[in-house]
Amino acid sequence: MANIRKNKRSLTADQKANRTILNRTLVLGGIFGILIFLLLLGRLFHVQILSHEKYEEMAVEQQTRSATVSASRGVIYDAKHTVLAISATVQNVIISPKDIVERDMDKDVIATGLAEILDLDRDDILEKMGNTNSQYVVVKRKVEQETEEKIRAFIKENELTFGVYLMPDTRRYYPGGSLASHVIGFVGTDNTGLNGVEKLYNKELEGENGRVITAKTAKGTEMLYQFGDYYDAVDGEDITLTIDSTIQYYLDRRLAEAIEKYRVQNGAFGIVMNPKTGAIYAMSSMPNYDLNNPSEIYNENLAEELPAKESEEYAEKLSELQLKQWRNRGVSDAYEPGSVFKILTLAMALDEDVVSDNDTFYCSGSATVQGWDQPIYCSNHKGHGTQNLAQAVQNSCNPAFINIGLRIGTDKFYDYMKAFGLLERTNVDLLGEGNSVIWSEEDFGQNIVSLAVAAFGQTLKVTPIQLITACSAAINGGYLMEPYVVAKVTGQDGAVVEEHKPVVVRQVVSEETSAKVREILESVVRDGTGKNAYVAGWRIGGKTGTSEKRDETTGNLIASFMGFAPANDPEVIVLVGLDTPSASSGYYVSGGNMAAPVVGSLIDDIMQYMDVEPQYTEEEVQTVDTSVPNLVGLSLGEAKVVLQEKGFTYRVVGDEEKITDQIPAYGSVVPNGVEVVLYLGKEKPTDQVRVPNVVGLTAEKANTVLTNRGLYMKAIGAKRTESGATVATRQSILKGAMVDRGTVVEVQFGDTSIRD
Amino acid sequence: MKQNQKRRQLTQEEKLARGPIDLPFLLIAMLLLGFGLVMLLSASSASSYYESGNAMTYFIKQAIFAVAGVAVMFVVSKIDYQSFRGLSVIVLGAAIFFLVVVLLPIPGFSMRINGARRWLNLGITNFQPSELAKLGVILYFSARISKMKEKITEWRNLVPFAVILALIVILMYFEPHMSGTILILIAGITLLFVGGLKLKWVLLGGGGMAAILLFIITQTSYMTSRLQHWLNPWSDPQGKGYQTIQSLYAIGSGGFLGLGLGKSRQKFLYLPEEHNDFIFAVVCEELGYVGGAIVLILFALLVLRGYWLAIHARDRFGSLLIVGVTTLLAAQVFLNICVVTNFLPATGISLPFFSYGGTALFLQLFEIGIVLSVSRQIPAPRSG
Repeated sequence: MANIRKNKRSLTADQKANRTILNRTLVLGGIFGILIFLLLLGRLFHVQILSHEKYEEMAVEQQTRSATVSASRGVIYDAKHTVLAISATVQNVIISPKDIVERDMDKDVIATGLAEILDLDRDDILEKMGNTNSQYVVVKRKVEQETEEKIRAFIKENELTFGVYLMPDTRRYYPGGSLASHVIGFVGTDNTGLNGVEKLYNKELEGENGRVITAKTAKGTEMLYQFGDYYDAVDGEDITLTIDSTIQYYLDRRLAEAIEKYRVQNGAFGIVMNPKTGAIYAMSSMPNYDLNNPSEIYNENLAEELPAKESEEYAEKLSELQLKQWRNRGVSDAYEPGSVFKILTLAMALDEDVVSDNDTFYCSGSATVQGWDQPIYCSNHKGHGTQNLAQAVQNSCNPAFINIGLRIGTDKFYDYMKAFGLLERTNVDLLGEGNSVIWSEEDFGQNIVSLAVAAFGQTLKVTPIQLITACSAAINGGYLMEPYVVAKVTGQDGAVVEEHKPVVVRQVVSEETSAKVREILESVVRDGTGKNAYVAGWRIGGKTGTSEKRDETTGNLIASFMGFAPANDPEVIVLVGLDTPSASSGYYVSGGNMAAPVVGSLIDDIMQYMDVEPQYTEEEVQTVDTSVPNLVGLSLGEAKVVLQEKGFTYRVVGDEEKITDQIPAYGSVVPNGVEVVLYLGKEKPTDQVRVPNVVGLTAEKANTVLTNRGLYMKAIGAKRTESGATVATRQSILKGAMVDRGTVVEVQFGDTSIRD
Repeated sequence: MKQNQKRRQLTQEEKLARGPIDLPFLLIAMLLLGFGLVMLLSASSASSYYESGNAMTYFIKQAIFAVAGVAVMFVVSKIDYQSFRGLSVIVLGAAIFFLVVVLLPIPGFSMRINGARRWLNLGITNFQPSELAKLGVILYFSARISKMKEKITEWRNLVPFAVILALIVILMYFEPHMSGTILILIAGITLLFVGGLKLKWVLLGGGGMAAILLFIITQTSYMTSRLQHWLNPWSDPQGKGYQTIQSLYAIGSGGFLGLGLGKSRQKFLYLPEEHNDFIFAVVCEELGYVGGAIVLILFALLVLRGYWLAIHARDRFGSLLIVGVTTLLAAQVFLNICVVTNFLPATGISLPFFSYGGTALFLQLFEIGIVLSVSRQIPAPRSG
């Protein structure tokens, strides 16, 4: 019984225990068989699917090594496809102090060797080697092939692989040096543009760097299997400028000459443009700088201003001077245009029909304007008397222009200033274009004094680029163009990506007005204050200007000239400004005396270069230059025919049949109509003659003096003598020099006393 | 009648002992083993190559243990598991003995690696006594608990269990070996729980353990810094957070379908322990979420089949053995993957069948053998 009970009880205990195991195992099954795995699947989903991109990116970042494949930077060409900027591969010299230490290399040998090859300080290199955690310390950047080869030999010879190595880089070369430096601009050590077109078109020029991506292990070695990607570099696009290197060279040279001749204290600016399209042929800003070494102070006078390298002010002064030489004055600096502005006033008046050829303007030497208690003086204090319109412009007469301005009226005048684009930027594709400083419309309307002075270009400031663009509109038929320097952008396949077509902003004045302006401005150069810009054959028109710097108390002036040619159909317009020339140069400081000859010779250069057909007036034809034909061996009769055809007169020495010698020699360029001496058997005199001084003489007098010595004169510039003040200013062969009989002496004529 | 019955029982027992092993369980286990070996080859190839110049070194060693382990598994599965009752004392005793030995500084035998004394040098392989202790606890606890029935509700009968667990915990504390300790405690407590321990004690014990853990985590500076690196591994990306970050990179870059078998990048010396505790990260990187999920599902199926076998086992001892083996396996998988996915703070727990380690794999297969042995004696479902 007890046994049975016990059995029964133990059975129930067994069953109970079994049931407990069953139940609790089921619970465990739920937890360990299902719940935890659901949790894990969820967690895994979170990490692997939801955070996939984040972790993948981070993982790839650490697993890959990406080496940059530099895209080569585009070339900058001038309008004639001359290279202005081009990139080439150079090497950076790198040391790995870490490897030098780990591989037990001789530091002294390395430092001494590198210092010698790279022209560096040995101690500096030793110091750089102290950074033993680094594997990349640049010793010298951008070394060229010759040095590169020396370094390679040095590494090989001393077994310095890993310790010293080279990394390719690119360097920008500017074959023109300082030529068009302000337009082209330069790049920094990282090869991104920092100035000029290099900066403005950096994106197009630099292209897109490629990358080589390779997988690496945590130790930095290559992974066992290939896992790599290669992204091709897209080379930069080439840029063709409207700049013409030759014209730019002429401009630079003429400005440099002027700076020296007129002792210009503060540099200069010059712009040469196609007035019909707005394409800029040349743009200079002095002081200039060398694109191959932009940080160096290029101008010698400026460099002298630098204090000693060790001094505290050095860095500050250096950066001040750098900014000065990098400044593109032609677009950045607004100045008072002075009388050059009269071109625009004239155009406004003609277009509004408030003046005509028959109007007369009286100048007593000054004028008074209501609202201003002091007289406003003319440049000629004695007064110009009664003048017609063309004469008023030729004389650059302020009282006449005050009168003209008043005729136009405040509102119209202001509207025209707007229409000529003087209140907005020209939108030229250059860096740092400045704004003009002109009254607000409201202020301008307050009284007529502003109008009176604006009419002859004072108390308002415009940038040179604004002024030349506006004046182009006045002479090109009336169209305000958008000036530009980038003609086109081309891809590496030669396809044109972007082309700059001339942009007409608006028509400001009528064709007839423009034609009349050209006619009057041509007379300014022929007969007026612009006569120093005169060059026979080119029909140059223009206007002088002498600007005050009203915001300075120095009394310094900017002598300027705006010239264009040919006057009947302008191909080129030039603006030159000389900042602070000195009276000590012997010239009265004025645009007519100083800037006009620069523009005249420049236009002469450019017209010849551009192969423009010269147009001589009848008077000019008489004196046009001709080259002397070869007459030796001809009979006198034959020679006569040839000489008559060319317009030469002649004199005979000797009496044989054939011509045995001649003066001037064959090929000499002499003024038309000079006398040729023909030797028939007689010896040509071989003695040399002393060149006399002709500077200061009138053309007629100079010619006599030279001819008497057996020399020929070739006159250049304004030799018309009506004003009486036109005299020789320069002779190509200095007085006292001994030359062959019959040598041609070039004599420059001009008026040195022009007040404009 | 009684004798008849007994004879019939005996014959049935004999018959059952020669019955078929559970094929689904075996199949899943072998699938995991095969999968694990392939992944080990892939994961270890890089570091094996960089260390010895031969990408197969780790794989060959592991494969040898796998073959030996599978052989032992079949041998064990043939043994009538009732004989483990007696054996359990010896295994547990040996485990405790070795746990003591491992702490003794015996040159050339007891090893100190990274400041921990967990390994004994057996010449051909290293051996972790804690692995043996897991088996010992499962065998001994199952054997004792299966006989206790309702006696388990009396606290004084629990004293031997507590003493054994405490002894092991103390010995392993000196190694130290936190993760191994946790696993042994989980195995022991699970067996007591399934064996019928009063729920309030289970809760009390569980609560107590949780409290102690919480205390350790929040109050000791070692653990708080660890906690911080768990919550934000990027606070020390090159140091304490490195392993976690590298693991997340591996798993994360796998995405849905992975980089392809053998194409892990993280195994190239980035991910430490990539063929060991962090092998699952390589699985996920190469085979994607799909591959990771397949591994998890295989483990889940193995575990569920294990519990199914436990429920159908012929006796409580069999049930408890399987529950012990299965739960330990599940817990190990759970903890390992939690660490790898930064779901829990990092601690060294290997992934069964996958992680490199000879003794661990060998004992793992030994335990599978035990489950298979129990499975032989499950009565076939009555037909009809």
